[in-house]
Amino acid sequence: MSRFEAKKPSLCTSEPLMSEGVRATLSVLKGIVTSCYGPSGRLKQLHNGLGGYVCTSSQSSALLHHLSVTHPVLKILTTSVQNHVSCFSDCGLFTAILCCNLIENVQRIALTPTTVISLNKHLLSLCTSYLKSEACGCRIPVDFSRTQVLLCLVRSILTSKPACMLTRKEIDHISALILQAFLLTIPENINDHIILGTSIIVPLKGQRVVDSTVLPGILIEVSEVQLTRLLPAKKSGALKVAVFCTTLSGDVSDTGEGTVVVSYGISLENAVLDQLINLGRQLVSDHIDLVLCQKVIHPSLKQFLSVHRVIAIDRIGVTLMAPLSKVTATICSLLLCNRNDTIWDELKLTCQTALHVLQLTIKEPWVLLGGGCTETHLAAYIRHKTHNEPESILKDGEYTQTELLLIAEAFCRALESVAGSLEHDGGEILTDMKYGHFWSVQADAPSVVNWPDLFSQCGCGLYNSQEEFSWSFLRSTHHPFVPQTCLPHEAVGSASNLTVDCLTAKLSGLQAAVETASLILDLSYVIEDKN
Amino acid sequence: MACCSMVAAGSAKAALQVAEVLEAIVSRCVGPEGRQVLCTKPTGEVLLSRDGGRLLEVLHLEHPIARMIVACVSSHLKKTGDGAKTFIIYLCHLLRGLHAITDREKNSLISENIQTHGRHWKNCCQWKFLSQALLTFQTQILDCIMDQYLSRHFLSIFSLSDKERTLCRGSLELLLEAYFCGKVGRNNHKFISKLMCDYFFKCTTYKSETSVFELVDDYFVELNVGVTGLPVSDSRILAGLVLHRDFSVYCPADGDIRTVIVTGTVQPVFSTTGSELILNSEAQFQTSQFWILERTKAIMKHLQSQNVKLLLSSVKQPDSVIYYAGLNGISVVECLSSQEVSLLQRIIGLSPFVIPQASSQCEISNAALVKFCKPLFLRSKRYVHLGLISTCAFVPHCIVFCGPVQGLIQQHEDALHGAFKMLRQLFEDLDLNYVTQISDQNDTSRPVIYGDSKESNQLPETGNGSIQRPHQDTIGKNKNELENTQTCIPCSTPKLTSADTLQTDETLRCLSSEKDRIVDDYEPLLESNSTTNSITENTRIEIYENLQVTKVAGRGSMLPVRYKLYKMCTSQSYCSSSMPAGCVLPVGGNFEILLHYYLLNYAKKCQPSEARVSVIIANALLGIPKILYKPRKGIYSFPQIYIRTLRALKTSQPMVSSQTGLESVIGKYQLLTSVLQCLTKILTIDLVISVKRQPHKAYDQDSEDEL
Repeated sequence: MSRFEAKKPSLCTSEPLMSEGVRATLSVLKGIVTSCYGPSGRLKQLHNGLGGYVCTSSQSSALLHHLSVTHPVLKILTTSVQNHVSCFSDCGLFTAILCCNLIENVQRIALTPTTVISLNKHLLSLCTSYLKSEACGCRIPVDFSRTQVLLCLVRSILTSKPACMLTRKEIDHISALILQAFLLTIPENINDHIILGTSIIVPLKGQRVVDSTVLPGILIEVSEVQLTRLLPAKKSGALKVAVFCTTLSGDVSDTGEGTVVVSYGISLENAVLDQLINLGRQLVSDHIDLVLCQKVIHPSLKQFLSVHRVIAIDRIGVTLMAPLSKVTATICSLLLCNRNDTIWDELKLTCQTALHVLQLTIKEPWVLLGGGCTETHLAAYIRHKTHNEPESILKDGEYTQTELLLIAEAFCRALESVAGSLEHDGGEILTDMKYGHFWSVQADAPSVVNWPDLFSQCGCGLYNSQEEFSWSFLRSTHHPFVPQTCLPHEAVGSASNLTVDCLTAKLSGLQAAVETASLILDLSYVIEDKN
Repeated sequence: MACCSMVAAGSAKAALQVAEVLEAIVSRCVGPEGRQVLCTKPTGEVLLSRDGGRLLEVLHLEHPIARMIVACVSSHLKKTGDGAKTFIIYLCHLLRGLHAITDREKNSLISENIQTHGRHWKNCCQWKFLSQALLTFQTQILDCIMDQYLSRHFLSIFSLSDKERTLCRGSLELLLEAYFCGKVGRNNHKFISKLMCDYFFKCTTYKSETSVFELVDDYFVELNVGVTGLPVSDSRILAGLVLHRDFSVYCPADGDIRTVIVTGTVQPVFSTTGSELILNSEAQFQTSQFWILERTKAIMKHLQSQNVKLLLSSVKQPDSVIYYAGLNGISVVECLSSQEVSLLQRIIGLSPFVIPQASSQCEISNAALVKFCKPLFLRSKRYVHLGLISTCAFVPHCIVFCGPVQGLIQQHEDALHGAFKMLRQLFEDLDLNYVTQISDQNDTSRPVIYGDSKESNQLPETGNGSIQRPHQDTIGKNKNELENTQTCIPCSTPKLTSADTLQTDETLRCLSSEKDRIVDDYEPLLESNSTTNSITENTRIEIYENLQVTKVAGRGSMLPVRYKLYKMCTSQSYCSSSMPAGCVLPVGGNFEILLHYYLLNYAKKCQPSEARVSVIIANALLGIPKILYKPRKGIYSFPQIYIRTLRALKTSQPMVSSQTGLESVIGKYQLLTSVLQCLTKILTIDLVISVKRQPHKAYDQDSEDEL
């Protein structure tokens, strides 16, 4: 009997962003994501008070997965970031921080949400079209005939995940392995469209990270007893393989909806087992060397096969079955070693991210300058555009120039604070007034006469401070300048150790952040169903 | 034990309180400046919405009057897909207008100390008469105003050339942009309206709109796919149909692909329902299994020999079928929903393939061709993408909705679905029927116009049975019977009877008896009118204030009266007209201001008692433009717009709209009708009794039905 109960009325709250509680929780969330950002980001340990798994990570996917967010406004934000990450794997923290910054900055400005949302959209499209244009001064083309930029990309990803606890040498080793694994999934004969193979990450816990390796093909786990039995069966040349995706357990299959009457003394199970043994005979007579079964193989059949020197492996599972059944596809296994379970999980997640980012880079063969340089450069570009060429946005006559400048400043500040979040040790951040790049100074630096003496490279590593720059503090007021666009080709060629980001992931993160911030700013009511 | 408690205030007052609360919520979401509402479900899902109907639904209102209002709104939405927020705002303004009048009456007249209880019942009486007057207005006067005055301002989204109507993209874009302005976020409405426009033109062939609307409306869920995590601007239209599942077996094939649909398992079953299979030996069991396998193999071979390359199944097929399909190069998609199967059937006109029981290798007649069939990757999910070759008017296309969160995707899907409903209605003609009489013909104080429209056949429930309008929806519906109907007119009763059997004596008798009753019923109304003379004077002052600016527009308007199929019947008093499909007006409260203006004009010409209702409605109509122009200043503020519009009407000059965009007239008309019906319902309730007991279950009735 179903219970018949009247529904409780919902709770309706107006102007959720005006409430102190929401602002406070938003700033807590911002604090969490900001402190995790970048290579020197702080780690978070997440565990349930009731026991169970402890997760140590600084990655957005791990953090947001374990955090339980209750307020609906925050839920929108975290869900949006999670959705972005499940599509692009990378730039989750960037999205979250930018979104929080945008919401926070805009709230200080007394403009209607509609104006803010429309202008933010204009600014976003300025950004996206710039990042996609040839003139863009913060992106580098990827040359797939050379591994240089690709290695930089993978290394940047590994470096930005401090919870992996890798040394410099280990980072180099794992980066090379990841790139190798990725290249193994590219089929040799490329037609009009490439279908990439799969790389399977196999855990090898208890060994040193540098022992990790890449093998072409699939690894299937086999018990030691089986292995010893297999070894004598090893023969030269190719093995003949039979793959079953149905069960070979000897269950009586579906007998339909009618009644089946079985006479006394007749065993259907025996009948089925007979058929299984017949199958075994057939396999033997077909000279099959290896039988793989997704589900369970009946012990009698296994016995029969092993007597006839056929290797039988069952319970392969659906995850391995998919690449197995694609005989033509290219598959490789990345054996990932680590002595610590928690760190292994983080490392695996990072490897998956890197592999995915490489796949995305095939589709859009560009990378963006990392280390905060893209953000500061982009902010400089937007500031320059809105100050000197506001006509394109203001042509409808819907907004005044003051409104545009206010919103643009909030937008640029939001971008710059994302870059600023890379610095966790109280250091000072500057931008140069030529390229608009990101430079940081250590906190304990002596009071100085000459800034450039304190740092050698910008955030991405493309420029060094030998040039005569004029400097500006990131937190101070900015004078718009024209950031130099069109990267010189030789500049890219010479730099071998750049920090770079995936263009596709970052671009999408930027869009997700602005769209989500607009959504949240547009909320006039929250209706909570209390049933 | 039932425990009753009376709610002292009449329903009208309660309704106003409720409506004002709802108005406060919806008015923030109305129009281009409207904002979003975030709704959470008990399951933890979040939904973003600006859709009034959705908001009212998720509020889970407790108050009985509120629930009644919500029910009215949702039944209106089911039909039209638009106008929930406007519904609430109209209703609120109407209730406010009614209160203003009755409050004034109280102050001026009921100064003598009547017992509060007595006053309550007296008030209720008054509400009831008002509700009758509203009903009369809705069913009889509105059509006339629409047809005789408003129609001259109508524009059409069709461009007419040589009697052929064609839909131009520009007009549709204007219409949709205005529609989505109120439905989706400000940063997305242009994109979504373009998407919808593209979709519409891709899906429709020449002159097939109506059937396409129907199909899209019915199968909206099957025709779109949502992808979270991508920016909204990645949303796109795909040719063909996307099935929300993956292939069980995929065998790439080129060229046209022959397809069959099955609704059962291809493999013969071991035993069928109701039968008994007796196994006497193990060999028997093995043989029968072997036979089943061989049979499956033969069927799949046969399908291959008939060049079938794709098998669509509504059920899960056994492993052997999948295996043999793979061997024979046949792709298989399993577990299609019944909706998907019926959509496929409608698009490609294909009936399910029946697997032959005997081994006769017959030709497969019911197979269809598909241009392509391939897996589609959206994010990490896999779908089946079919290039269907349509045999109906609908050219199959799907929409992929992208967005950062599911809640936003849902909003866009809902908005598009609503837009199709709105268009579906816009593309239909609306019949306007009403009877006019020259007012000096006799001295009745009844409304001189009878009306009926096809759409208003949903009869409002009147509180008690004393006023019956059971014949309303038949009047004039059948135009052949118009002559008969007219014979009734000289009787000068306010009621017309059923046209079904007019020639019989019985009807006449019925007519006369009803006449008596109606006279009875109207007596109290006359009474109340006489007692409220002083107030009507007050209202009239108001009217004059308004009209000083407006005066009366000349009949000889210079604006073109477009596409009006005006038909005068033999008797000059009967008009049957229709509002052609595709009538639109510029957005920004044009409909409301126009109707307001003509209603005031109308009120001036008729009796004070009728004028009262018209004036209330006319003033309530302004509620929407007032909200729309609230954020505007200077010459775009509401008073300025209002004065300019009325001046233009007075001098018969074309009206200037500050906004681009069009809105459906039929939608607005329907909305007003629905609101008036809802208000009528509210006013006829005199007491709200709350029963504090668990509601009865409706089990008994169900079980009876089953028996």
